[in-house]
Amino acid sequence: MTDVVFRETSAEPRTQAVPLSHLSLELGHLYMEDFEAGPKRLGEHFAEVRIWVEAARASAARRAGANRPRISTCFLIDDYFSRFSTPAELVPLILKEAEEAGLTIDYLARESGCAVADRIELAESVMHRLVESPPPGSYGSRPPVSRTGWLANGQRSPGRGAALSEVTAWQPPQETAARNHSVFMDVELWSDKDGRRLWSCPFLAAVWQLARLGLLRHLGEPVLTPKPWDGGDFPHDWDRLPPLLQLNPEADPFSAYRTCTLMPNRFLAVEDAVRLVLDQIDVDARALEQVDRRSRGERVEVPAAVAQRASYVFYEEPAESSDEGT
Amino acid sequence: MAAPGQSARPVLVCGEVRTCLLPSFQALDGRAAAQLLRLRADEHVRVSERPNLYVLSPEVLTGVDCRLPTANGARVRAVGTVAARAALTEGRVLQATAYFSAPATGPDLRRPWGQYLVRPGLVEPFGKLPEQATAQGVLRGAGRGELDLGMIAEGLLAGLLRHPLLDHKAPFKSRRTHLRWTARRAPDGEGPALVRFTLAEDGLRSMELRLPADTPAAAAAGLCEDLALHDWLLTTVVHMLDNSRLGAADGPSAVLALRPAVDHLLHLWMPRAHVDRTLGHLWDELEREPGFSRQWHSLVQRIRDQLAVQTIPLLHQALSTR
Repeated sequence: MTDVVFRETSAEPRTQAVPLSHLSLELGHLYMEDFEAGPKRLGEHFAEVRIWVEAARASAARRAGANRPRISTCFLIDDYFSRFSTPAELVPLILKEAEEAGLTIDYLARESGCAVADRIELAESVMHRLVESPPPGSYGSRPPVSRTGWLANGQRSPGRGAALSEVTAWQPPQETAARNHSVFMDVELWSDKDGRRLWSCPFLAAVWQLARLGLLRHLGEPVLTPKPWDGGDFPHDWDRLPPLLQLNPEADPFSAYRTCTLMPNRFLAVEDAVRLVLDQIDVDARALEQVDRRSRGERVEVPAAVAQRASYVFYEEPAESSDEGT
Repeated sequence: MAAPGQSARPVLVCGEVRTCLLPSFQALDGRAAAQLLRLRADEHVRVSERPNLYVLSPEVLTGVDCRLPTANGARVRAVGTVAARAALTEGRVLQATAYFSAPATGPDLRRPWGQYLVRPGLVEPFGKLPEQATAQGVLRGAGRGELDLGMIAEGLLAGLLRHPLLDHKAPFKSRRTHLRWTARRAPDGEGPALVRFTLAEDGLRSMELRLPADTPAAAAAGLCEDLALHDWLLTTVVHMLDNSRLGAADGPSAVLALRPAVDHLLHLWMPRAHVDRTLGHLWDELEREPGFSRQWHSLVQRIRDQLAVQTIPLLHQALSTR
């Protein structure tokens, strides 16, 4: 091949790679109600999670083969749907409870960082990457790129027509990938209120999964990258806490070939919705290629489809700790 | 587990390019062009300034699950994504392309959608692909309910034409052209070849290529865009000369009719400026017959001569009124 004499940087696509672990292990996801239930409940979560962490580590080690398994842990705090407490009060508490259960939290993230991080509208960008699964018969007419703010896994039941139209028999919705029978799901991606867009929990969680899988880029640059923690006090305002904070300086890279998320079983429907969303996102092709090349380089197989790279453990929630003493 | 067939090389690439004048009084500069073609906020628009200003959008996907157009009426269902992109040359000529690749065979069941999305621009047939019939079907155009590349390219174009940057005051009238193209895989050991270029009526052109297995589909699309651009330039300037009624019209009106060509088009002729190196020589076929550049230079010469001829009386007039 002959050398290229003339080059133009603005004409060449460039995508920066991110360091990758084998597994990104999420130790929990804290909502206000969990916080309100008190530190004891948090401790019980971690005690339960600890058991599954061992299993997830063992599984990652098996897949890593001859390599030392690189596993990073993370913890997500909701500061998007409701604001409670302050980092200064909450973060040390979480770290203490985790430590008592024998767990290390390598990275701490804020949920609002999945909507906007470092002034980049991540959720908005990901929304523009939705390519809806075409129901049979789609020949190129443009699907309404989720103009409605809803994303389904099939064809919806036809809506009520104009009032004057004849009464038609009810038609069932249909899952596109149905096996004999449909499990139809329709996910709300956002709502608009008072001129402000509120992203839904499953949609932000899909962005979170992409970040953990090392597949988010903005103009070729990685986004939602971890900022190191200097070991000092945590701020009194959530907005002053970096969206993704590296608590453990020794930690393996934040992003990974696979993710495993440990959560109470009440999140099952949300996470099913996350997979539905992930399955319809056209992720940055070059980021995907980088993951592919790196994983093959160390002989680790990674599922082709992005949604398949996310796995979950749904555990039984600890009993209400408000009934203390019973 | 890697998706089965991931390594399956496509045996056929098909596309359609729509080419038109940008409906804007002023040509767009590089920055404005990049803004127009920013189909995604998080992805770069490619801007090239040498040897001419050429701006290329990121690709967007459209999901399809439908019959392929086939010349022999064979009913083949196919599922996957069609890639679409837009290009703007010298801030003046806008093009939208939709294209897809297809492997020789595909699974008999639809896969989970995420598996198609990780292979952008690939459309898989259910079972065996009738290569020849599909290629011919695409060139003929989609029937009802069949995969419609023209519609996807048009959809992209329509979206771009609604952009607030455009004032819809085109400096002259022109017609759109459509170029449908297919590229079948060349036999092993053979290089790329241009098999046929057909000029049909109503601005429709078709092109058949043979390309080696390692030629990226995007490179084929780039070649076809380049040919479509130059064919559009020829078509548009020929049309402009026809309408100027050279010789018949009086001086000033002929000059007025030809002026937009000088202002907006004559500097655009630059074959293979942004064509993949391995494909640039396919231009030679069209230079030999019918001789694209030969025709262009003759047109340009005619316009310049005409303008020169028209200036003589004006000069006389100016001198005599002194």
